Amino acid sequence: MIELLKLCGFEEHEIESELPRIEKAFNKLGITDEDIKRGKQRLTKYYDIELKGVRKVFRLIVRELVDAMLLKEEGKKKIIYGFMSPGVDVIGSAVVTKSKEMFVIHHCWAFHIVFGCIFGKMVPILEAAEKKWLKAGVVAHCANVKTLVGPIVLGLFPKPDLLITSGLMCETAPKTLDLLHEIYDIPVIYVETCHDRGIGEYYDEIMRTAALTAKNMKILAERIGDVVGFKITDDMLLEVQDAKGKLQNAFSKVRQLVASSDPLLLSPTHDNIWMCLNMLTLSIDDIAEAVDAIDTLYEELQERVNKGIGVVEKGAPRIMVVLPAGQTDPRLEHLLCEVGIAAVVSDTSIPMPMPSGKELKDPYMKYGLGIALQALGPCLAIRIPIIVEGCKKYNIDGVLDRFHVGCRVVAGDALLIESAVKKELGIPVLLLEWENFDPRVYNHEQYKRRLEVFKAMMTKKSS
Amino acid sequence: MQEERLAVHLRDRPAQLLEAKKKGIKIIGYFPGNYVPEELIYASGAVPLCLVHGGGSQTADAALSVVPHVICPFARAQIGERLLKNPYYSMIDMLVAPITCQHLKKVAEVWEYHGDLEIFKLGIPHQHNNDFELEYFTDRLRALKDRLQTFTGNEITNERITGAIDLYNKMRELLRKISSIRRTSPSLVSALNFVKLNHASFYADPAFMVEVLDSVYQELKGKHQAIDTDKPRILLVGPNIGYGDYTVLELVKAAGGEIVIEEVCEGIRYYWNKIENKGDLFQSLARGYLVDRVPCAFMRNSAKKRLDFALKLVKDFDVSGVIWYELLCCETYDSESYFFAQKMGERNIPVLILESDYSTAATGQLKTRIEAFIEIIKGVTG
Repeated sequence: MIELLKLCGFEEHEIESELPRIEKAFNKLGITDEDIKRGKQRLTKYYDIELKGVRKVFRLIVRELVDAMLLKEEGKKKIIYGFMSPGVDVIGSAVVTKSKEMFVIHHCWAFHIVFGCIFGKMVPILEAAEKKWLKAGVVAHCANVKTLVGPIVLGLFPKPDLLITSGLMCETAPKTLDLLHEIYDIPVIYVETCHDRGIGEYYDEIMRTAALTAKNMKILAERIGDVVGFKITDDMLLEVQDAKGKLQNAFSKVRQLVASSDPLLLSPTHDNIWMCLNMLTLSIDDIAEAVDAIDTLYEELQERVNKGIGVVEKGAPRIMVVLPAGQTDPRLEHLLCEVGIAAVVSDTSIPMPMPSGKELKDPYMKYGLGIALQALGPCLAIRIPIIVEGCKKYNIDGVLDRFHVGCRVVAGDALLIESAVKKELGIPVLLLEWENFDPRVYNHEQYKRRLEVFKAMMTKKSS
Repeated sequence: MQEERLAVHLRDRPAQLLEAKKKGIKIIGYFPGNYVPEELIYASGAVPLCLVHGGGSQTADAALSVVPHVICPFARAQIGERLLKNPYYSMIDMLVAPITCQHLKKVAEVWEYHGDLEIFKLGIPHQHNNDFELEYFTDRLRALKDRLQTFTGNEITNERITGAIDLYNKMRELLRKISSIRRTSPSLVSALNFVKLNHASFYADPAFMVEVLDSVYQELKGKHQAIDTDKPRILLVGPNIGYGDYTVLELVKAAGGEIVIEEVCEGIRYYWNKIENKGDLFQSLARGYLVDRVPCAFMRNSAKKRLDFALKLVKDFDVSGVIWYELLCCETYDSESYFFAQKMGERNIPVLILESDYSTAATGQLKTRIEAFIEIIKGVTG
């Protein structure tokens, strides 16, 4: 255990004080000695754990999950879960900064990384959800939602005082929370988002949809305030937004460095670690630690640039990956490196153009605008040019679209993205139908063969 | 006689509409789900057409070149109908796409991407707990009005909207009255005939349709009699019944069951409530289409409301069993079926859950399951 925690960036003195808590939390999760052994192997195999910045990020993630597992024993007075409702991280950070007695979490994120990516134990969780209303099979229910329902029905997660979701990306999350409310009597609040802008009015009308979300967020903050017993002020939210802005800037520097690197500086297995870090409900102090972790990483990567060190051969084909990395399983992203493909950028990390003159003082409108500008939110006709222009900007040789079948929004776009990229850029596109949150879909031999062919096509095209 | 009149009208309808197009009348399509107030389209002088074809594997499969299999067969059929040049789908000048489920939203995006059709995306808040959500929808209806005026070149006056609401209220009322006959005399109007009549109302000239429905109702009213059959009385619940998706309706009838009422989100015109035709008409339309109705399963907090409505139908229509008919990959209805069956089970109401991807290969299996279900109900009630 101690070795595992060191790999996850815990300092010796911290291990000494925290070990009993961590063991207790891991016991609750059913983590065995065998799991610890496997966890160490997976950490060293799939992640650049020798980088201090990476270890620091893992530390924050593990710490949040441990806190989450012990919140009842440690006397947290109120527990709030957010699920597929991004604004919860901002309000949640404001709440946990103000009071240590409250707990707000985007539960899936830290759980995915620790339980899924590190320990590889996600399957029983998914199966528990499948025995309820999220059945397995052709219907292709999103496994992300299964990772919320599974732990609740297994009693791993305590019953929250409030559940929050939105329809930002799907109807499965709100429907699932509707059923959690009806069956388990958990109060639920929904944040309204509405993707109703046509292509011609997409940017002109952005404030209209942002305002709808902002009004919902304001009500959400009031409801959370009622639950936790104190008012969430604009100043509290602006402070968090400011801190998170610094974290975004730090990420942005790392992403730019990776995107322009040759050889590729870092395996794409880390992409979901960054995504997770961004979604944790960290206090202001912890956000500062997160910024420090990413700044440390940047310096370490800069050193790699100076020394010409990379994770794939220099000159390897450069690809854009469409959609986020596997969120409970790093094997596919690791395989990309093994095959010798440099995944330099993801479409989800390309910033959407901010409409001019839209500097906002109201924290809710800031949030609403952020949602309206989400990379995955736009309609297909907006998404495709972002991908095509991104490919040009980053000098991309091919596109890998691993589309998450559980999500109709992204899966529905895959075939047209393929045809548009081929038509406009003439570069190969590999479509992989998969489940972002379900390790059972991983088929090593099949994926390896397909990636090798993909690489050969890119190499042939550029030679 | 009315059946024949309607059949002739529908046979000639595409040609009539093409003629109208030549005279500059716009044909405006919209997706089903009962969230698009067709009154506004009608008031603009355009012809509203609800695009509701479904049930055939050919069109659903044709769309697989554009979207993957996880998009539900009805949504895929909408893409397929256009790819395969269904005359109704080819003639529309504009599409009003309600932002409802992800499947139909995706169809609108695909059509928008191809860029050969004017599209208006009608934002539908998925909840209406707060006044501003209703206001948002009202505002979007006003924006739709503006777009329709620009597109057709016709002014949409309050008078024209009032006339349109009046016409469609008559249609809804007649459908409700015809449907309600099944409460006591289900053999007078079979589910298949009722659904076909309902589907016809989406394509036929609305004034003509009202005339036909009125005649149908007058004919049926005269034959009205007390409970006239001992067949198991079935409630049909589901996301969608497309124009042509009649296999389950036919199989239930053939197995000796009688579907006496339906609670279906897309494909069946919602006829339980009328739109209030006074005051601010946009608020009235917004309230009628968003608030005063049973929400579809993709709406927030809808499971309990939909269950309660189904239980009311069970009671009012003396239902002895429920068939839950969903389309493959419809994630919200599939999730809700678990809760629904559990709650019905607690009340000893048998439920059969069926799903379809429009494939004819599954018909045999559907037939066996429906026959067994009808036998079980007969055993329970007999």
